[in-house]
Parts: sequence; C-alpha cells; structure tokens
Amino acid sequence: MSDRVGLGWRGELSASILDRLDAIDVLEVIAEDWLHTPRAEQRALRSLAAERPVILHGVALGLASSLPAEGRRLDRMARLVNLVRPLAWSEHLAFVRAGGVEIGHLAAPPRTWATIDGAVANLRRAAAVVGGLPAMENIATLIDPPASSMGEGEWTCAIVRASDSPMLLDLHNLYANALNFDVDPQGLLCAMPLEKVSMVHLSGGRWLYPRDAGPRLLDDHLHDVPDPVFGLLEALAAKAPQPLTVIIERDGDYPEFAVIVRQLERAREALTAGRSRSSPAARQAA
Amino acid sequence: MSAQSVEGFLARLYIDRALRDRFFDDPVAVATQAGLDRGEAEAVANLDRVGLELAADSYERKRSAHQRPRPAWVRLLHRLTST
Repeated sequence: MSDRVGLGWRGELSASILDRLDAIDVLEVIAEDWLHTPRAEQRALRSLAAERPVILHGVALGLASSLPAEGRRLDRMARLVNLVRPLAWSEHLAFVRAGGVEIGHLAAPPRTWATIDGAVANLRRAAAVVGGLPAMENIATLIDPPASSMGEGEWTCAIVRASDSPMLLDLHNLYANALNFDVDPQGLLCAMPLEKVSMVHLSGGRWLYPRDAGPRLLDDHLHDVPDPVFGLLEALAAKAPQPLTVIIERDGDYPEFAVIVRQLERAREALTAGRSRSSPAARQAA
Repeated sequence: MSAQSVEGFLARLYIDRALRDRFFDDPVAVATQAGLDRGEAEAVANLDRVGLELAADSYERKRSAHQRPRPAWVRLLHRLTST
C-alpha cells in the first residue's frame, strides 16, 4: 500500500472535488454531517465512497474522557460505518461534554491517568460497537489543560499504545500547541507514538494577539497550510516507514480550487522528500 | 468520580462567562463550591486565564456555527452522485 493524499469533503467544495477527483486519492467526511440525514442522502455518501475511498471523521463522541461515551452516539456511528463501509474512521483525543454541559467543540481534558484509563475504556467500547478502532487525533488547544500530571506526548502515547488505536496525527495542531506552549515542534513530533500514525491532517490557522499576553496560534482551518507544517510532514515521512494517508482540511475562506490542488501536490512532495531521506524499509513501504 | 468532577467544572468554565469571572476572583473557593475537593481546586486554580478566555471564545463561535441551518450542498451531493 502506498501513501495517499486527499481532502476533507466540504459541501462548498463538492463540485470542484468531483471535477478534480484525479488529484484526490481519498476523501474525509465529517460523520456528524450524515448521522441524522435521510437514508437516501446517506446512500449518496455510499456512492461517493464508491468513487474514492472515504474516511468517516467523528467530532462529537468525546472519547478522551473519564466519562463513558454515550451508547446512542456510538450506535449511530456504527450504523453509518456499516452503511458507508469507509476505509477507516477517526475521532479525537478530546472531551466535548461533562457534567451535563455540552462544550460545543473539542476540548483538551486534564492529562492524567484517569483520562487515559477512561479513553482506553471508551475506545474498547467504541471498537466493540462500531466494529473497529478509530484513528485518534491529537487536538489543538489554546489552554494548557489544567490539573494535568503529564505532557501531551506522554499522555498521547499512553492512550494510543494501551488501546492499540491507530493515530491520526494533526500536524497543524501539533505545530500550534508547540508554539503556544513554548515547545520545539520537532521535539513534540518525536514525542508522539509515530509507529502508530496511519493518517495525517494538515491545515492552517491565524495568530491571536490577546492583551497582556503573548500571541497564540489558532487552528481555524481557514488558511493555507504553512511551510513549517509541510516540513513536519517531511520529517514524519522520514521517521515513520508505514504508509500514510494525508488529508488537507479547509473549512472556509476557500481559495480557488487550484490553490488547494497545489497544496495536495506539496503534501506529495513533502512525503517524497521525507521518504527519500529515510531508511530503505520506509522507502519500500511508500 | 473525582476526575469527572474536574471535567464537569472545566466544561462549565468554558461555557459560562459569569462563572469564569467569579472563578478568577476566588478560584479555590469557587472550585470547591462546585464540588471539587481541595486538591482538585488547587490544581485548577492556576489555570491560564488568557488561554481559558480564548478557548471559551473559540467554543462559542463553534456552537454558533453549528446552529446554522442545514446547507443545501447535501442535496447537491445527492444529485451529483445519482447521475
């Protein structure tokens, strides 16, 4: 199997995506966009999966939590996976609700053994209900999670290795967290469980300039992938011999589609460059 | 249960501006009132205010975006893939 490069399916890009499928190896679809749609629309997604491999990407299960994941949400995900038969499915190392409160997005839980144990239990349950483990994505956070007893790399390794989940390594999330919390991005990359990485996200963001504090990088998916993130992809490709599926995420402020296609090409170039300076085993895998 | 209390308190901080204001006036007292034990309250007391406010603002924008009506592109996909 070879490296793949693809794009997050967004409705606003749908016509362009279908017009340029030749440039796209794989599509990633937000699962929650489809969980409540009529069966006919879900079958349209299955038709899309027949054109290109599809990955279902969940954003609302909240698996990295000391709280149990909700059974009804897992059941809905299982039904969609069963219908679409995706190449893989993925979720986040995040919590999204607690104490009866819906946060509305992906939040970093305290990095403790309690959340490690909770995440591993949730992943086992998810695998049993859905029929396979999701690839777990590191998230961007603007706040260093309070009440933590370990760093991001150690916490991530513990969950991914104990659960045997594949990892979806979001390189812009990693880059943003490194810059926001004064860590070397290459060092943080090396602290991740690289042997478990099967998928990669690339995206862009913008700087925030709060009063009375240094700037912070927001991962907003509204900007082009910056050069250092392509550099991290090249470094990853050099270190990780297994095939990688790379997805570019863009959620708005869309440029001409040719610009996005060019970023897909840059991702392929970074993979090729990384493979060329890696071990013979890595080159063979790619 | 204890770790769940911390997650629940953080979730409330993310969505409740008034709670955040009270928390930063007296972090340990507000956290213990919310059910955290002394150790947990002290662990969250030193959290980064700027980061919390930026994260809360980001989550609020996401919640607003989720409330938008369902886009027409789902029907577009259906039409494109049915032909």
